[in-house]
Amino acid sequence: MKMDRRSFLKGIGGVLALPMLESLAVAGQSSPTRFLVVGNPLGMHPEHFFPTEFGKQFAMPETLRSLEWLRDRMTILSHTDHGMVSGHGREISFLNGILPQNSQAYPEKNISIDQLIARRSGSSVRFPSIHAALERGIRMSWNSNGVELKPYTDPQKLFDKLFLNLSAAERKTRRELIERNGSILDAVGDQLSSLKRNGSATDRVRLDQYETSVRELEGSFADRRNWIDKDKPTYDISEHFADYEVTVENRYNAIFDMIGYAFQTDLTRVATVAFPNELSYTDVDGVTRGYHACTHNGKKAEVIAELVAIESFQIAQLSRCLQKLDAIQEPNSDGSMLDHTVVLFGSGMGYGGTHSNRNLPILVAGGGFKHKGHVDTRGSNGQNMPLCNLYVTLQQRFGIEKDSFNTSTGAFDLRHG
Amino acid sequence: MGKRGLDTLKTGFASAFFVFGFSPAMLASPELMEAHCAKCHNDEDLKGDFSLSDLGARPSADNVFFWEDSLEFVSLEDMPPPEKSKLTDAERAELVDYLTQHVRGYHESGVAPKRSTPRRLNNRELANSVRDVLLIEDIGTHQPMANLLGDTLEDGFDTNGDALGLSQFHVEQYIESVRKIVDATIFSGERPKTRRIKVDSDNLRMTSLSQRQRQERDNRTDESIDILDIRLKAYFTNFETAPHTGRYRIKIRAMGKDRGIYDQEATGIYDGDPISLRVHMGDRTRDFELPDEEIMEIELDEWIAAGTRVQMSYPTDGLRLNGNGNFKFQYRIAHDYIKENNQELYQRVVREEVPKAKYRSTAPSHWVHWTEYWQGPRPRLFNAEIEGPIFESWPPRRQIALIGENPKAENAEAILAPIAERAWRRPLKESELNSVVALVQSRSEALGDIEALKEGIVAILVSPSFLLINPEEGEPADRFATKLSYFLKSTLPDTELLEAARCGDLDNFDLVRAEIKRQLANGEIEPFLKEFPHAWLQLDRINFMSPDPEHFPLYDKKRLNEDMVAEALRFFDHAVENNIPLSEFLTADYSFINADLAKVYSVRDVAQDSKLRKYTFTDGRRGGLLGMGAFLTLTADSLGTSPIHRAIYVMENLLGIHPNPPPGDVAIEEPDVRQAKTVKEILSAHMEDESCASCHKTIDPYGYAFENFDPVGAWRNAYTMQIEKRPTRARLAEVAKEDQRLAALGLPPLPRPWENTPIPVDASAQFRNGTSYGDIVEYRAHMASDSNRDRFVRCFISKLLTYANGEEPKNYWEVEKILERSAENEYRIVDTLAAVVDSPLFRE
Repeated sequence: MKMDRRSFLKGIGGVLALPMLESLAVAGQSSPTRFLVVGNPLGMHPEHFFPTEFGKQFAMPETLRSLEWLRDRMTILSHTDHGMVSGHGREISFLNGILPQNSQAYPEKNISIDQLIARRSGSSVRFPSIHAALERGIRMSWNSNGVELKPYTDPQKLFDKLFLNLSAAERKTRRELIERNGSILDAVGDQLSSLKRNGSATDRVRLDQYETSVRELEGSFADRRNWIDKDKPTYDISEHFADYEVTVENRYNAIFDMIGYAFQTDLTRVATVAFPNELSYTDVDGVTRGYHACTHNGKKAEVIAELVAIESFQIAQLSRCLQKLDAIQEPNSDGSMLDHTVVLFGSGMGYGGTHSNRNLPILVAGGGFKHKGHVDTRGSNGQNMPLCNLYVTLQQRFGIEKDSFNTSTGAFDLRHG
Repeated sequence: MGKRGLDTLKTGFASAFFVFGFSPAMLASPELMEAHCAKCHNDEDLKGDFSLSDLGARPSADNVFFWEDSLEFVSLEDMPPPEKSKLTDAERAELVDYLTQHVRGYHESGVAPKRSTPRRLNNRELANSVRDVLLIEDIGTHQPMANLLGDTLEDGFDTNGDALGLSQFHVEQYIESVRKIVDATIFSGERPKTRRIKVDSDNLRMTSLSQRQRQERDNRTDESIDILDIRLKAYFTNFETAPHTGRYRIKIRAMGKDRGIYDQEATGIYDGDPISLRVHMGDRTRDFELPDEEIMEIELDEWIAAGTRVQMSYPTDGLRLNGNGNFKFQYRIAHDYIKENNQELYQRVVREEVPKAKYRSTAPSHWVHWTEYWQGPRPRLFNAEIEGPIFESWPPRRQIALIGENPKAENAEAILAPIAERAWRRPLKESELNSVVALVQSRSEALGDIEALKEGIVAILVSPSFLLINPEEGEPADRFATKLSYFLKSTLPDTELLEAARCGDLDNFDLVRAEIKRQLANGEIEPFLKEFPHAWLQLDRINFMSPDPEHFPLYDKKRLNEDMVAEALRFFDHAVENNIPLSEFLTADYSFINADLAKVYSVRDVAQDSKLRKYTFTDGRRGGLLGMGAFLTLTADSLGTSPIHRAIYVMENLLGIHPNPPPGDVAIEEPDVRQAKTVKEILSAHMEDESCASCHKTIDPYGYAFENFDPVGAWRNAYTMQIEKRPTRARLAEVAKEDQRLAALGLPPLPRPWENTPIPVDASAQFRNGTSYGDIVEYRAHMASDSNRDRFVRCFISKLLTYANGEEPKNYWEVEKILERSAENEYRIVDTLAAVVDSPLFRE
């Protein structure tokens, strides 16, 4: 299918110039799959998040109402967990199932699923992954060395990273670094050939491996040199900040729009957005209390209502972003951009009110999956499914052909295509 | 039968060979096999996935492991199974002889010990090697290697050549890391000014756990700040990070406060443990024991890289016992203490403060009211003074040592040659540096002499001659010194070792043994003492499936995994220091424990502190590897134990037997700890299914003996996990009602897991060859036999070779020779190490 340039304009508001696909030269062939994760640190009020019925015919729970339009293209997973005890501080294992203190038992430490996927798709785009939140992150993303990746907490700074072009001096420095690294590879390459002449057949196995690595790296330097000189896509988020008062909603709209546009222009293929504990949601209708305080509501109806309002707000922001992605025809492929974007919403905490870390609120949407509505993931023995089983399925969706991820015991049955 | 290296071999093999020598094969042997084995091991039945026809006429590369396995089974009397077929002793001897000769004949028939494939340095070897090339104390405090991918472990080893990948990504990350290290070592700019910074108590702050600053919780007076929460770190507001790379002199005035006021069982901090202060400089840390209630001036003199955070924390495994372990719940201890010991204060707080509190004003015992009154053990910081960066000269001395005072690109060859020789562990070949020199000279105009030379150093350090171990032909002495150094020290060889190898000073067993003893005495082989046992015993797995924190709270709250790993490493240290016979790993009645481990092992007469000390067990159940918490925990699930997991661990890591993995299509029932069945009852299913039984009859007996040890390795006489807490009265009423409804439908009542009773543990079993044991004590006696000792030593040798060569040894005949050398020296561990190093399998 041919790419329709005008569809970009339809997709995202505030566009000044016609967008160019960042990695068009590289892409060209098949369309990429993207990954969007949205999370919070306090879980969801279960009665308002999980439908009462299983299967496809479920009544849309209050918190998820803004996703009604997506009901056939999403899966809600009941009864998943990471086997964590109750209490705050375990939610940081949302995307990996492993607490930092236990990460030494794993070669890739507590690498989170977004980073595994980012590594896969990273080299062909300008930014392997981008991370955003307001105020503060929720410690979702961890790299293979157990280092936490901190998100951009200021939309303006995120904008600068994504869309501001490097200054001439910065470009020069980066170009020089690539050039210097390139010369180092040249010197090493010369030495390598003399080694290979001397090495026995046994030796040559690993020398060949080394040589291939060097050659591939040289190729990717060439690509990257192009990135530096290439201007980033142009984008404008000022509409979100034009009002007299800049609200939480404006700012999240700006974040999600930037991510949508970054997907659209193939600046990145992996993004995470967090709704932190510390944020004041009093901009949201009906909310007067703090987010954390609302989770400890003592089952008072009016406080629960505030909590549900906050949670519905989070979902509504996501929904708005997904609607925009769905309005864009995927270039070079069938379906909308949403059909090529795996969306994961959830939390590493089940529900803050009980501090329970069992039965995590998990929702998967888009991504071209054959969605299943509301699924009870418990096994025949009544035990919850490790959430990492879902991540096995997701990594496979991105072509990572491994049948385990951190604490998984199998895969969650969710097909695509 | 599965693929295998030589460590599958073969109890009884050596002894069989030496007893029977070289008598020609009797024709009767194939007939014996036909008569006693073919009934099960034929092409149709394929019991144990093996048919006699797999053996062919004689061993070849494709089938030699079938011969080796057959020999193993027959000599152990596991085969033929006593209940199926009876071999006379003479017949068995004859068969063993026949198999031995064929196996030996194959290995002696000229397939020379193959050279192992060169492998890349793993991350820790890389860090050490770069350090030693650049003549610096470590790679720097700016975590220059944090961008590298983690090394994949193979059976616990980070030295496996196949598992250590090498890709475009690796090479790029190497360039980045090495560049960061070189940049923090060699300077081309102006000498930075030395500054002196005074840190008053006002400049002392606590970090926050989250990604944004928020108001810290600290105990602050006009002159000091206390570190309460063990998760937080103190820092200096006027010196958060080092502004320039260089040497810094840091003085910190601090004291240990309030040791022993609260009950040690409440805080989890033993009265016998000093209060320490840990100073963090990036990932480099230094610990200082603080005197009680008396100010001490700590002095550090450290090379710190620009941008490194300098922080302080309280290193302890305590203060996590209450609630879910978060620090705030510990304040309850303050409440309990004051209520008990200071009624006056208690009454005042309850009367005046609690009612005015914003939260929990009706619950005086709640922790929120007592945060101001904390008197737990803690470090108190007063002030500090920092001076730096300090340079004895400019350029700094270490830079002069590396590239000289005023290096010029035109002298690149002379400057870089010693660096390249160190890095590549050999003399340079004619014109070998040309491309690097050309690189330096082409860059010197744009970058200046020093920066251009740094490019050359980076190139040397990402060259395959550096990144791969012995990737090319070279002098055998250099190759050997390199291997030996990476084996014992995880880094490149120093000049002395290279010299010694070149002069022939390491040419035989005695010389090698003397060299190992010399290095051991000098404390040089620390890396081996830490890394090898860690890999061999697969200690990395300990928290892969950690014990359930609700049922085994102490394990989680006191980080027992760290104590358990430390115990195993300490035992290994002891073994090497005292050069004990290897059999003691299995038979020792002692281990090294502290007060935390004493709780798990139910022993009382130990000092109340965290230090590991030798302890002799009198119950015959513990001591050595077989009673260690590390082994018992890392082989257990979160809630239950599996005799199979423990059996496989013992077989693969201690005895060198590699049972076949279960067939891919087998349905394995998920463990359900709630059911009121013993493990034996559950596993008996294996014995009924023929396809399972053929292997599990061999495997399971190795593991049943450990059933008395629960998932953290504590002794138990009965299983209690199936007993649930009695539910509330309301729930009981619901259950009764539901039962009535079910009864009306003619259905059985609901299960009542709270009425379950403890089930006694049965830890007895029978090995395939008929030997049986009643409990762990008898099992341990069985493990002390000569044949098990030989298996253990053979396995240990094989693990050493795997660690050294990056792949499992394949020529087991040479392994038998190492075993023989070990036996001549009473199986002593250092002698065995020397025998391994002296073997052609190591020397290549």
